Amino acid sequence: MSLLVARGLTLEAEVEGDIVPVFRGLNFALEPGRVLGLVGESGAGKSMVGRTIAQLLPPGFRVSHGTMEFDGADLVAMAPEHRRSLLGREIAFIPQEPLTALNPVLSIGAQLDEHHRRLGVRGRRTLREYALAALAAVHLPDPAGLLSRYPHQLSGGQCQRVLIAMAFAGHPRLVIADEATTALDVTTQAHIIALMRELQRASNTAVLFITHDLRLAAGVCDDVAVMYAGDIVEIGPAAQVLGASRHPYTRCLQLANPPMLGTRRALYALPEQMPGLRALARLNGCRFAPRCPVKADYCLRIDPPLEGDLHRSACLRPGLVETIEVADQLAPPPWRPAGETPVLALDHVSKTFTTGTWPRAVEVAAVRGVSLRIAPGEFVAVVGESGSGKSTLGRLVVGLEQPSAGRIALAGTDVTAGDEAARLHRVATVQMVFQDPQSALNPRRRVASIITQALEAEGAKFAVREKRVRALLAEMGMPLELGVRMPGQLSGGQRQRVNIARALCSVPRLLVADEIVSGLDVSVQAQLLLLLHRLRQDHDFALLFISHDLSVVRHLCDRVLVMHGGEIVEEGPTETVFGWPRHEYTRTLLAAVPR
Amino acid sequence: MIRLLRRYFYPSWIRSGRVVIGLLIVLAVLAAAILAPVLAPHDPAEQDLMLTFQPMRLGSPFPLGTDGLGRCVLSRLLHGASLALKVAFIAAIGAMLLGAALAYAAGYLGGWVDWTIGRAVDVWMSFPPVVLSLILMVGLGTGASNVILAIILVDWTRFCRVLRSEVLVVTRRDHVAAARLLGFTHWRTLLLEVVPATIPLLITLLALEMGIAVVVEAILSFVGLGVKPDQVAWGQMIADGREAIYQAPANLLAPVAAIFVTVAGFNLLGDGLRRTLDVRLVEGRG
Repeated sequence: MSLLVARGLTLEAEVEGDIVPVFRGLNFALEPGRVLGLVGESGAGKSMVGRTIAQLLPPGFRVSHGTMEFDGADLVAMAPEHRRSLLGREIAFIPQEPLTALNPVLSIGAQLDEHHRRLGVRGRRTLREYALAALAAVHLPDPAGLLSRYPHQLSGGQCQRVLIAMAFAGHPRLVIADEATTALDVTTQAHIIALMRELQRASNTAVLFITHDLRLAAGVCDDVAVMYAGDIVEIGPAAQVLGASRHPYTRCLQLANPPMLGTRRALYALPEQMPGLRALARLNGCRFAPRCPVKADYCLRIDPPLEGDLHRSACLRPGLVETIEVADQLAPPPWRPAGETPVLALDHVSKTFTTGTWPRAVEVAAVRGVSLRIAPGEFVAVVGESGSGKSTLGRLVVGLEQPSAGRIALAGTDVTAGDEAARLHRVATVQMVFQDPQSALNPRRRVASIITQALEAEGAKFAVREKRVRALLAEMGMPLELGVRMPGQLSGGQRQRVNIARALCSVPRLLVADEIVSGLDVSVQAQLLLLLHRLRQDHDFALLFISHDLSVVRHLCDRVLVMHGGEIVEEGPTETVFGWPRHEYTRTLLAAVPR
Repeated sequence: MIRLLRRYFYPSWIRSGRVVIGLLIVLAVLAAAILAPVLAPHDPAEQDLMLTFQPMRLGSPFPLGTDGLGRCVLSRLLHGASLALKVAFIAAIGAMLLGAALAYAAGYLGGWVDWTIGRAVDVWMSFPPVVLSLILMVGLGTGASNVILAIILVDWTRFCRVLRSEVLVVTRRDHVAAARLLGFTHWRTLLLEVVPATIPLLITLLALEMGIAVVVEAILSFVGLGVKPDQVAWGQMIADGREAIYQAPANLLAPVAAIFVTVAGFNLLGDGLRRTLDVRLVEGRG
């Protein structure tokens, strides 16, 4: 008998007085001891499934039909007291942000005790034993010492282990992990996933694993349900759904994901983006149809049922899914003559930060003796985990930080001094694309004004700027009307395009891009990568691409530098480094990437 | 989805009841102050020793009665409004200019500039504000312009401290760094990328400061260290009316009510503006 069953679950939301159907009769079942992955891009409604189970729906959302049954009892209709007695005991949650999920003013021990008391454990000595056992079960070193520590003294991975310990403490029958590893580094993610699998197998728990990462889902889950705009479009055994997709959306997502193995193929860039809540009201028929490459007219009218036996998909034309293809080979990078002056040259550059105040000031080295060369037109990646110094390296190059030691030269001119002359040379040669467009775009400027800020600094006339706006928007593949919008009115992908357009406005010879595709959906990421490839063919700029995502790096860059502890531990052509890693750390990093 | 909901729920400042009520009160007081020569039934300084402590009676020549020297309370109240508002507007704007200039310098430049200004504010704020303004008034002498100066010298710290932390947050945003990388001068970056983001906070602080200035002016006038004795001030009226609380309570209650309503108006306006203009309260970051 299934542990968790959704039967015709219909969720409605009230948006500006209109009732919008979010889920139109959701059906799925989760057997005890199995892992069901819910995958899809942001806005697909994955998290709403978890929220429906806990009945923690945002205001305006309500279940109008159908049931969500846990062990035969409907969680929606159940009395709140009954549901509360199940949550945390029979049903446990592992949250996305481990640092914010723990109470910062209580020690780890106090929080474990509180949780155990709720589970019915009594007595100080027994509580301590339980707490130690829980920490030992998640392989945390020195459990006794950890009890008196506070969340901010632990790393993100350690906090997530504590939360996993709490989740499995009551021997739950169902665990809901909502993007449980998204905020963690890739090597930490691999450990956390292994730990969850181990605990899940040991206690035969069922897990609802919510993630946006298809590759991760393929490795972790027994079954996978792909969601799009509130509909489950494909569900079945993971190997079949992700290996032999029967729905065009699943197929497109997989083709949009840059592969870690095999040839560096082109990516499939789905046009536009997932419809928002408001747009769902006007969507009849198949919700994916407006973006579908193999749609027919009738797809827009008929709502396809989920069909099949074990592996079910909701598509009226499943036979055409195989025909969605991308080019096997990437276009080669433009040819460059050898022996040009490097556009960027770093010689033994170091940067130390001082934290704390005298007399307790501590010097922390973020970058240690880094030397590198970037030739004109070359795409170079810097990879490493958080804290490896890769972002500081980028900031040193553009001059937001000044080096403590070493020499920086841009296009043959020494800019180490960081004086006014160096600044003006930098303005003319290097630009930066920042990670978070929310912070990088002035919310009070219009798009047109943002992307021509470089001209504004030169004091260009309005007509000149207007012409450049037209050219830049066309190049970024954005309609001209967007020029009058504010950044707050744009989607995430559009904002990142504006971000790139602003940096390209002054035609720099080197572009420093810090994590510009992380945090974006796979289909939007593919659009941006495609854009960068195209810009490379049309323009003559080199790229220093700072990223933690190895598959994106493999897709985009010619050469890769691996950073660890502020040093470059390995460098070489991307294919060579990823295919035959020599340094221990590079091997660890590569082994941790789900494939 | 929540972000989408938020985007559709786009509040305009006018929708806030607080702002509307506060603005109406302030405008009413402002109208009273400007139209005082027309509205007032008598000259506020005109004495009639035969008609002292007249009671409140609507329809009589003295609707709010008269004081111990036979002066019309209503006329004095209306004329007092012009002084109160003059002090409120000029002192608040003056304090804002001084405090904001230092706050932008401290928050944007950081380093030793920030440290120096921060310590100056610390020292300044360690004096009790009322005592500091009394000492200043004793040194400067009475008069409306000296009251304004005293308020500016005491209250600039309020702007400086609050605004500095906001400037610090905005300066750390990437679009400010991007503007520098694109070749903006420091001055241009500050003016176009940092200042606009802090304007809502500045407006809010300004409205709240105006209410505070009204109170400080009343305190100084009350103890006789405010304006010159021949000028009408609410604080002075309270000081005078105190002695006749049993014969003619309106002498005391009318200026108290006037101060209460005016300050409430400014505070409602300030609070309403804070709630509607403050990006953090409206949008959050989600």
